Amino acid sequence: MTDARWVGRSYETEPFVVTEQSIRDYMAAVGDVADAGELVAPPTYAMVYGFDAYWQLWTDQEVALDVAHLVHGEQRFNFQRPVRAGDRLRTTGRLTAINTRGDMELVTFELSARDEKDRPVSDATALFIIRKA
Amino acid sequence: MTAQDFESINSGQALPSLTKHITVEQIRQYAEASGDRNPIHLDETFARSAGLPGVIAHGMLTMAFANQMLTDWLGDRSRLKRLQGRFAGMVLPGDDVTCSGSVASKDEQTRRVVINLVVTNQRGEKVLNKGVAEAEFSTQRSDNHAT
Repeated sequence: MTDARWVGRSYETEPFVVTEQSIRDYMAAVGDVADAGELVAPPTYAMVYGFDAYWQLWTDQEVALDVAHLVHGEQRFNFQRPVRAGDRLRTTGRLTAINTRGDMELVTFELSARDEKDRPVSDATALFIIRKA
Repeated sequence: MTAQDFESINSGQALPSLTKHITVEQIRQYAEASGDRNPIHLDETFARSAGLPGVIAHGMLTMAFANQMLTDWLGDRSRLKRLQGRFAGMVLPGDDVTCSGSVASKDEQTRRVVINLVVTNQRGEKVLNKGVAEAEFSTQRSDNHAT
């Protein structure tokens, strides 16, 4: 059981510089290669520029989530503006809740990404389920 | 991509569905592109020791397919404003997953459309449910250079 005292802990990524190659690698990986002239990242590319916030949570030795038994339960995104090559995006993630449901633990992580002018780009809520070992 | 025309959208209308075949190679490619190299997605032995039937696809790969179904229909990735869903079942290599959606409501004032969506596997089991998306058809194209 994760200690509830870690609720409120937050993590911030370094600025993620979006490149055309990174967008195209993501598009190839998910098989979404449609192109309408100007290259706009698929909205779910938010997982790429925000990934380090998730990674910091999963690898935080003090919080010590049981990542071997962690699965992704739910995901919500709001997209405030499209993402293109050249954007420099910084994502903040905050552990906002730890609940139990039966023998599962539910961990809520809320994220917000902003550009270099501090304008909102996207926000997200991830719910992770930690199954009983 | 051909841009969808707001005026021609009807509440209740179905979006063209999208089916994807899942392979170990695609899961590996997604792990590389996303950075998420959790061994439950990559290491068969580790996945089994964690109580899974084998390596499983990232939930966000399934959501990326739903994203593609939406933006293929919208014709412009900039129009998608909201996307959410619950990962209701595991997706394994060899599975065929199909994304389906329908227009739940259309608001003429805000020029927004709400879409309900679901992703099912080849047995008809839901792997993503409670899916909701929202798109905005601005009269001017949304752009990060706008003030």
